[in-house]
Amino acid sequence: MFETGPNWRRDVAIGAILIAVMIAIPFLGPSRYFIGQLTLFFLWATVVSQWNLVFGVGGIFSLAQMAIFAFGGFATGMMGLYLGISLWIALPLAGIGSILFSLLIGLACLRLRGPYVALLTLAIAQVMYLLIITDTACFYMEGVTCRNFTGGTRGLAKFGDFGFREMLGRREYLKGDYYLSLFVLTLAVVFSFAIIRSPLGFAFRALRDNPEYGISRGLNRFKYQLLVFAMSAFFTGLAGGVFAGHFRVIGANVLHLPLLLFLISMMVVGGLGRAWGPILGAALVMLADEGMKDFVEIRNMGYGALIVAIVVLLPQGAAGGLEQIWDWGHRQLLRLRGGRDPAATGRAEVRQRK
Amino acid sequence: MERTATEPLLSCQGVDKYFGALAAVRDMTFDVFQGEALGIGGPNGAGKTTLFDVISGLNPATAGTITFDGKTITRATPDRTCQLGMARTFQFNAGFDTLTARENTLIAAYFGRHNRMIPGMKFDRETQRLADEAMAFVGMDEVAHETVRTLPVYHRKLLMVAGALATQPKMLLMDEPVGGLNPQEIDEVMALVQRLKECGLTIMLIEHVMRFLVRLSDRVLIMHHGEKIFEGSASGLVHDKTVVDVYLGEGSSRRLQHILEDQPAP
Repeated sequence: MFETGPNWRRDVAIGAILIAVMIAIPFLGPSRYFIGQLTLFFLWATVVSQWNLVFGVGGIFSLAQMAIFAFGGFATGMMGLYLGISLWIALPLAGIGSILFSLLIGLACLRLRGPYVALLTLAIAQVMYLLIITDTACFYMEGVTCRNFTGGTRGLAKFGDFGFREMLGRREYLKGDYYLSLFVLTLAVVFSFAIIRSPLGFAFRALRDNPEYGISRGLNRFKYQLLVFAMSAFFTGLAGGVFAGHFRVIGANVLHLPLLLFLISMMVVGGLGRAWGPILGAALVMLADEGMKDFVEIRNMGYGALIVAIVVLLPQGAAGGLEQIWDWGHRQLLRLRGGRDPAATGRAEVRQRK
Repeated sequence: MERTATEPLLSCQGVDKYFGALAAVRDMTFDVFQGEALGIGGPNGAGKTTLFDVISGLNPATAGTITFDGKTITRATPDRTCQLGMARTFQFNAGFDTLTARENTLIAAYFGRHNRMIPGMKFDRETQRLADEAMAFVGMDEVAHETVRTLPVYHRKLLMVAGALATQPKMLLMDEPVGGLNPQEIDEVMALVQRLKECGLTIMLIEHVMRFLVRLSDRVLIMHHGEKIFEGSASGLVHDKTVVDVYLGEGSSRRLQHILEDQPAP
C-alpha cells in the first residue's frame, strides 16, 4: 500500500502489541482516573503526531496546532449545539473544516520563513483566544441567562457527547471515549508513518538537505509545505472534537501557552521528525508530569530538568536514542549468529550482481 | 511539439541580469538547437553561472525573453523549468546529503518529470525504473545505496548527472562538470557526455578545462563581463583576437589549436 521502509516489520509488530495492550487495559479493572489519563494521552499523542509532521518532517516552525485543535473542538461543539446534529456526524465535518481552516493559515503564513511563521501562527492562536474570551454578546437566551456564541470565558457546553453514557451507563461510559480516542490515535499514527515514508517525506528531507538543488529537481517547497500543513489538520481537528465530546465542554483554555509548551516538549523529548517520537514523547512527558504531581513546589523544575537532560544527552530524542540501541543490538545479534554487518553484506551483493 | 526543425529548442533574446547597478549578464542573445552542444567559456566572474541561474529560473532575468520548447520561461521557477524538460547540474557538489544515491535519483525521477499536485504514497515502478536506468547510465549502480555525504567528488558529479537524466530532460545544462577532477576522471566524464550527445540530448555546458569544452561543443560561446564576445565554431575561437586577449592568452591558444588539429573535424 505504501513505502514500507527498512524496519517496517518491527514497526508493525510494535504497533500491534501496543494496540493490543491498550485494548486490554480497560478489562483489567483500572481506576477511572487511569482511564481518563490514558484517554487524554491518546488525544495529546494524536496532536503531537500531526504536529511532528508539520514541524519535524515538513520543517515548518508552526505554533498553530492548538488553534486547529480548538477549531475542531469548537466546530464539533457548535454543530452539536446550534444545528442539533449528532456529534458523530459533527466530528468528521469538523475534521474537514479543520483542513480548510489550516489551509487558510497556511496560505497566510507559509510564504514566510522560520521564526516569522512561529510568530504569525502564535498571533493567530492568540487572536482566537482573545476573540473567545471577549465574546460577551448574547447569541441566545437560556431562560434568563445570556449565552455567547463561542461560550465566552465559561466555555462552550451543553452540546452533548458521543452517547456512551446512555449506551454503557454512568460507570462505564469513559471506556467508550477511551476506545474512540485510541481509534483516532491509531489512524493518525498510521497516517504519519505513511507520510514520513512516502515520496513527500523524502521531498522534505531533500529540501532540508539542499533547498536550491531540491527546487532544481522539481520540488516546490511552498506547495508541499501547504499540503502537509493542511493534511495534518484533519486528525488534529478530530482530536479537538473528541476532546470536546469527552469533557462535554470546550473553552479558550486549550489555547493557553503552557499547554502549547507541554505539547512542544513532548515532540522534543520524543525526537523531532521521528516516526515513533510523538508517542514516546507524549508518554514520557505525561509520566513525568504524573510522577511530579505530589511535589508541586518542584514540579516545573523537574519538568524543565527532564527536557534539558533529553536535549543534552539525546539530541535525537528518545526515539532516536532507542533507534541507535536497536541498530547496535541488531548488529551484535547478527555477529553472534556468524553473519556480517547487514549494510556491508548488501553492498557486496550488489557488487556480485555486477 | 509545434516546434519545427529550424526553430531553436532554447532561445534567449536580449537577456539582462542586474544585481543593483552591476550587470552580471548583459544583452545575451543566442539560440540552442535540438541535438546541439553549446559550450560556454570565459574568465571567472564573466557571468556564466548567472546565465544558467537566469535560464533555469533560480534567479530570474531583469529584462529580455527566454523561450524553451515553444514556451516562454522567462519568469518560470526552477521546479517548473525542470518539469518542462530542462535539467541542470551545479558547479559545487549539490545533492541531498543524508539520503542514499538511489534515493536522490528517485526524488528527481518522481518530482522532476511532471508536476505532482498530490504526491502518491510510494515511488511507482516507472519512477524506480527511470532512476535505476539513470544510475546505470552514469555507472553508479555499485554505490547506489551509499549515503551521498560519504561519496567522493567524482561520484557526486556523476550523481548530479544521474539526477538530471532521471527527470527525462530535453536539454541538459552542465555547470563545470569536470571542475576538481583528475585527468583520468575528466576523460570518463568526457566519454559520458559524448554518449549523451549520441542519444540526441541537447546540451549546454560551462567549462574552464578548454580541451573538454572544445572537444565536446559543436559551437562555443565566450562571455566576458556579462557580455558575449564570441560565438562560433571551436576552431574560430583560437583565431579570434578578443578571445585570445581577454581569456585564452597566446600560449593556451596554441595548445588548443594542437588539440583541435589532433581530432577529426566534427
